[in-house]
Amino acid sequence: MRRPLAPRILAYSVLVLGAIVVAFPLLFALSYSFMTPSEVATYPPPILPSSPNFDNYGTVFATIPIGRYLLNSFVVSAAVVVGQLATASLAAYAFSFLVFRFRTLLFFVFLSTLMIPWEATIIPNYITIRTLGWLDTYQGLAVPFMATAFGTFLLRQAFLQIPRELWDSARIDGASSLRFFRSMVLPLARPALGTVAIYGFLSTYNQYFWPLLITNERLMRTTQVGIAQLRDEETLRWGLIMAGVVMVAVPTLALLVLGQRQLIRGLTAGAVKG
Amino acid sequence: MRRLTTLAFAFMFVAAACGGGGGTSGGTTPSGGGDMSALAPGKDVKPAAKITWWHAMSGVNGDALNKIVDGFNKSGKGITVEAVFQGTYDDLLAKLNTAIASNAAPALVQVYDIGQVYMRDSSQIVPMQAFIDRDKFDTKDFEPAVINYYKYQDKLYSMPFNASSAILYYNKDAFKEVGLDPNKPPQTFTEIADAAKKLTKKDASGKTVRYGFGPSIYGWLYEQMMATSGVQYADNGNGRDNKATKVNWDSAESKAILNWWKAGIDGGYFFNPGQDNNGAANAFDSQLSAMYIESTARLRGHINAGGTKFEIGTGLYPRPDNKPANGGNIIGGASLYVMKSRPAEEQQAAWEFIKYAMSAPVQAQWQSDTGYYPIVKSAYDQGPSKEWSTKYPQFNTAIDEIRNSPQNRATNGAVLGVMPQARARTQKMIETVLLGQASVDAATKAAVDEINAAIDKYNKANP
Repeated sequence: MRRPLAPRILAYSVLVLGAIVVAFPLLFALSYSFMTPSEVATYPPPILPSSPNFDNYGTVFATIPIGRYLLNSFVVSAAVVVGQLATASLAAYAFSFLVFRFRTLLFFVFLSTLMIPWEATIIPNYITIRTLGWLDTYQGLAVPFMATAFGTFLLRQAFLQIPRELWDSARIDGASSLRFFRSMVLPLARPALGTVAIYGFLSTYNQYFWPLLITNERLMRTTQVGIAQLRDEETLRWGLIMAGVVMVAVPTLALLVLGQRQLIRGLTAGAVKG
Repeated sequence: MRRLTTLAFAFMFVAAACGGGGGTSGGTTPSGGGDMSALAPGKDVKPAAKITWWHAMSGVNGDALNKIVDGFNKSGKGITVEAVFQGTYDDLLAKLNTAIASNAAPALVQVYDIGQVYMRDSSQIVPMQAFIDRDKFDTKDFEPAVINYYKYQDKLYSMPFNASSAILYYNKDAFKEVGLDPNKPPQTFTEIADAAKKLTKKDASGKTVRYGFGPSIYGWLYEQMMATSGVQYADNGNGRDNKATKVNWDSAESKAILNWWKAGIDGGYFFNPGQDNNGAANAFDSQLSAMYIESTARLRGHINAGGTKFEIGTGLYPRPDNKPANGGNIIGGASLYVMKSRPAEEQQAAWEFIKYAMSAPVQAQWQSDTGYYPIVKSAYDQGPSKEWSTKYPQFNTAIDEIRNSPQNRATNGAVLGVMPQARARTQKMIETVLLGQASVDAATKAAVDEINAAIDKYNKANP
């Protein structure tokens, strides 16, 4: 049965309005990226470029090796996601299904690392990476972030939702811990895994200080450091910076759109389980 | 949980302590007029084949910087400088701190103007004066206004690299429109206020569509106004004869600046963009404000943005009505430091590079690529510099301004260990006055008390 027309129109207008508000900064950045400096400096600020041109994009390509930076950011972020999923899901499995001494205590110790500000660990991390000779390498950029207390916590909570009976019957059927983990836990916890993956990807992709700290070589830098290079000390060329931002944001958005189906399927699969 | 955090902190202290052990302990403060050459590597030390230079110049300025480096690398000295961009000035300083703690600092670093006391007190640097004394290097050709900014007790600690000052920018078309002489910009506080009143324009609904004057609430601009007023920002010769202990923000001159600014805002003929330099610049480019004050280094940016729509004029920086004879402008920008933790060979190579970068042809090219002042005066005789001044005649105001600034402690500018904090605090002070949240007396008193306490704390921690 279809709902009457009037409420539907109302609902959609509210949704469209919400979408515009949410998407506005991005659309504004997109629009600015096609403007000349003199057009950007008009008051009140124009919403759309009067004569769109790709000059800013050309300048971005000429100024920084943006393709290489995107590649670097993707390699590092993907590696961190894989690493985080592997460590966090296994740790969460141990904390939720296996019984061992000091389990709760260990879990809280694990959680407490969330409280340590990253500023406190950055120098020790830097020294470790330097001693390993990992400055200017992908492993130096990725490995320090491959374990995550937050992800472990999130996955443990998701695993605890899985009925205990499943575990018991799996054991009765002779499934090993690993088998149960692979065939039951992982598929059932897909939405949580997706959340951890997206969170890990975005936070790594948006990192600024760590990549700046441990890379000196131009070609090993990441996208966020690259955007900083588009800045001038004395004048900000907003059009140019926005062109850089668009080029950095579009691949992540594309990934999200492609992954959306998978993600929603995961979410609903989680919702109707049990 | 508590134990873990404690452990993390302990680890950090250990790391910092290990790293700090590299150089000899104690500050590099000399006791007066002594020769500093002993702090430099021996004259016969062979320069290293490769050094690294950390800098914070990006965009157009970054390209210009790389041009200098390429020129040096190809000059046949057998030294390769690798220039590495390290983010903003603040990012660079943060990275430098981390690197010092693990002994990974480069031989040469660029640090912003307000970081100079911090760098000097870190005892991680070889003072520039050491090289100058050792080589009997002649600094007669250096622009006094520029070089004096980086001196403490008349010793040069770092080599100025990118130097700019502040000037008045004004919209000549708007001047013509309201019957002001477009070739005679206002100069004193009263002249600016009078011109601003005329330039302010409202639409039918009473909304202001153009303000006369729109300076950003930026501590550096206030520092400049203190200097054009001929008063010191802090005691002990603005922190140059000895460490400053007190700031002078509650002086009559400082209060006069605040009262003038406040009257303009209250009268509706000054625009208040807040603490936003880019907002102030955009307001000028978009003709929302007809005059404003900013760095000389923004000139080219303005000509490319606003200059396509109206004619841009430049004038001397605002000053009190009596135009104090000892008032003038301060230099801003950044300078180059040689790091002590690197081997003598690398320090030597860094000095070779600095000498090259300070030569007249290189400086002239640097000026024409960036719009910064050349550090050496003879650069103005070089082709690229002359072409630049022809292309941007407005820049001559900037040159005249620092040339005509008398050199004294007020115009040398203040140096404090807590300079970044002090600058932020003046901004808050100005803002509370402009927004009417506190009277001039109350706002200055609160700011002075707070910063004097911070200075005291800093001086105790860095004796």
